[in-house]
Amino acid sequence: MLATILIIAFGGAIVSYILGKFSSRLRNYLSALVWITLIGLTSYSFFTTPTTNVFYPGFIGFNLTLRINLLSWLFAITISVIAALSVIFSFNYIRGRERRDFYYLMILLVNASMLGIVLSGDLLLFYIFWEIMSWSAFLLISYSKGKALAAGLKYIVMSIIGSGTMLIGITSLYGNYGTLALEELPTNLATAPPLYLLFIFILFFVAFGIKNAILPFHTWLPPAHSEAPAPFSAILSGMLIKMGTYGIILLFYVISGIKLFLGLSSGVWSFHYILCGLAAVTIVVPTFIAVLQDDAKKLLAWSTIGQAGYIMLGISFGTNLSMAGGIFHFFNHAIFKSLLFLAIGAVEYRTSTRDLNSLGGLIKKMPVAFLATLVGIGGLIGIPLTNGFFSKWLIYKSLILDKQPFLAFAALIGTWGAILYSYKLLHNIFLGQLPEKYRDIKKAPISMRLPLAILSIAVIIFGVLPGLPLNPINKITTSLGFQPLNLGIWGTVSDTGTVNTLNIFLAFVLVSGILWYVFRSGAESPKVSQENSYAAGAPIPEGKYNYTVDFYNPLERMLKPYLKDLIDSFYSWIAEAVKQISTRVRKIYTGYVGTYVMYIIALLAALILVQLGWKIW
Amino acid sequence: MVMTICGIIFSPLIALLSGILMLGVTRKLMARIHWRYGPPLLQPVIDIIKLFYQKAPSHGSLFDFGVILSLTGSIVVLLFLPVGQLAPLSPAGGLLVITYLMLVAPLGVAISGGEAANPNVSIGISRKLILSFGYEVSLVLGILAIMTRYDTISIIKVVEIQQETGWALFSWPLFVSGIAYLLILPAILGIRPFDVVSAPQEISSGPHVEYGGKYLGLTTISHALSEFIAIALFVNLFLGGWGLWGAISNLGNSGLVVFLGVLVFLAKIFLIYILSLTINAVLPRLRVDQAIKFLWKWPAIIAFVGLILAWTV
Repeated sequence: MLATILIIAFGGAIVSYILGKFSSRLRNYLSALVWITLIGLTSYSFFTTPTTNVFYPGFIGFNLTLRINLLSWLFAITISVIAALSVIFSFNYIRGRERRDFYYLMILLVNASMLGIVLSGDLLLFYIFWEIMSWSAFLLISYSKGKALAAGLKYIVMSIIGSGTMLIGITSLYGNYGTLALEELPTNLATAPPLYLLFIFILFFVAFGIKNAILPFHTWLPPAHSEAPAPFSAILSGMLIKMGTYGIILLFYVISGIKLFLGLSSGVWSFHYILCGLAAVTIVVPTFIAVLQDDAKKLLAWSTIGQAGYIMLGISFGTNLSMAGGIFHFFNHAIFKSLLFLAIGAVEYRTSTRDLNSLGGLIKKMPVAFLATLVGIGGLIGIPLTNGFFSKWLIYKSLILDKQPFLAFAALIGTWGAILYSYKLLHNIFLGQLPEKYRDIKKAPISMRLPLAILSIAVIIFGVLPGLPLNPINKITTSLGFQPLNLGIWGTVSDTGTVNTLNIFLAFVLVSGILWYVFRSGAESPKVSQENSYAAGAPIPEGKYNYTVDFYNPLERMLKPYLKDLIDSFYSWIAEAVKQISTRVRKIYTGYVGTYVMYIIALLAALILVQLGWKIW
Repeated sequence: MVMTICGIIFSPLIALLSGILMLGVTRKLMARIHWRYGPPLLQPVIDIIKLFYQKAPSHGSLFDFGVILSLTGSIVVLLFLPVGQLAPLSPAGGLLVITYLMLVAPLGVAISGGEAANPNVSIGISRKLILSFGYEVSLVLGILAIMTRYDTISIIKVVEIQQETGWALFSWPLFVSGIAYLLILPAILGIRPFDVVSAPQEISSGPHVEYGGKYLGLTTISHALSEFIAIALFVNLFLGGWGLWGAISNLGNSGLVVFLGVLVFLAKIFLIYILSLTINAVLPRLRVDQAIKFLWKWPAIIAFVGLILAWTV
């Protein structure tokens, strides 16, 4: 069953590449069909019992195993859905670009390898899929060439550093315990000395932190997200960085276990509180930077880092509420952030720009994209009745009741910052005045509107009925060793604070119904155009006066001097220094044989000198 | 059950009447301070009824929907926020839900106004968001101080605990947070010196510039309700809600007590409102950058100290 899923996923990628040489239409249909089939197969595997089976015995002395449990199932189903929708979205988006077969091959490969990561039952297979994912993602990020190539390079360099530390960790684990199976490691690590545990945690955390864009490993993310093709940005932000989240859950709660993770401390310094602090910084600073962005996708990219901070905060805080909140927020973020990236992609497809300073007033031209963005930012902010609300609420509640008000403050302020940048996104694209050149914009094609509609509906459904995804999540956290939550389909029950989204929903429906009736019974209102507006006696020049540039001017003027990405500058400085040193080192290769002979003679002379002086050999 | 149904019906009604009365009081009081006679106290009621019979242009369905959403948001908040002892839906959500629901009303106006291509609306909303980012820092710190100190996220519990231990505004160390809240209250209410959002002389009342007729009527009601909510939250958090030093809770538990509780609650609201109006009457308007500089300096520092004290003491 698991092997079938992977064979279909990888086989589909290769077959669709070959098929693309004959017919692009067939290739498109096949790649969508592959992922729709995979949605079906993964949904079906929900009803089968959790299994682990050896899939390839004796690969360089290891048994490669595949396994599925509820945790990997949740990730797998999210991957499949986002992948299928992004592939459908790509139909039109990528039409007319070059190297389309390559694009489809890579986008299918990246998703297949992510499925492989969550389904693998030992660290070696995990690592193999991890590398396939990293490299195919690199090829996709740099797909558009130009700026994208630099972005991709930044990504792959950091990715390689992460893979390197992870490989050291894996070899160290194997050297000490002789096994890499996820099921055998916990018993072995239970007796490990704390310092060794810390060593392993840091090695793996660097790898997963880079993927998950935790500060200070975030610098690859903004250029990569904004330069990648929009459907892939959706996957990148929705799922690919969540592989870091998956890895972190695996590391802290599966491989080592909750007791070891929360117990790792020395004096007042507790490892998981340090991670919480890191996560809090990851929420606040990128949120402020996002407010200053003028590129729609860059804004969303910074917002992704901030939201990854919430997930990280929930997971590393380590109570049953925060853990459920963290996993739930990963799920919600995958939905609403892919939705937002796809909506921006649709706008970019029609207007061929994503510059927030030059767009505006597209609401009547692209209504579906507008509604999708509205719902998406609702989820991002966490307005009640959208999905982001409940996951954030769980995290806040856990932080407050566990007496960590400053972490809670960081989380809450991150949300209020999110209001600012998400309204900027909505307003500067869809509201306000419509520039002259976008008068004849058509709405997005159906292959783009369909994914937008599906994801928007998902945001609302999981907002009104958070119990649907929370029930499996509750089982996951219970299986990781947490106390179960008392859940209903509409929220939680407890004596310290309850949420009932169904009541909120009914209140909204009832009140707005009454108000609609009151509204209708008032005097009728003639419809006028967008431009027919009142300006207190000073006429507004049509299509020429658009309040989008520097939308938050007074705030930006205040914040800009303080918000430089120092970490990015630091890394760039290191890169520059390495380049300089390499240039110097390169000068020894002069190309003259004489110089090389001289080097050899000098080396021999030095060796003889050493031997004469110290008699080592 | 009866109490819940009574709450669902009366809580928004009480808020509606007092909110509109507050608008009337504003005009009368401002006039008296300025040595004018001023309109009758019920002028806003007359205005709103009149507005419903006036024709007004609409820019499209989102324009209509946003206005309704905004008022819906305010009314739904009132079902969760205790008005005296009436708190029909409070068991279904706590303080965090209330703070989130309070976002719906401004968001409704923002998306409704955005459908009209009027730069004044955009400027107004931009200012509104900046200003609220300014005061939310202190507001969140204050709410967190209360929640940390009383170890609950339920607003009903917060009111109950204050019946036993005294009002938060007059108790150590929460009074520090209370002072910060009082400092940002004019900004939450959008009155001078923080009336940058409407600023009639600069941007012709900003987000509301496009509204006439029933739209203006509904947004006026929404505005009145949000003033009521802002002060009601303060009264619940820091002034002991419906409590009067045990004078009411000693009477037992009957309909009369609920009625008296609501009266005391409203009295506190009007007291705070009139105090803020006296500030409104004498101060000029700040620029938005001056406003945010002030808000991120004194109230934020005091609120931060308040949270540290509430956490450690």
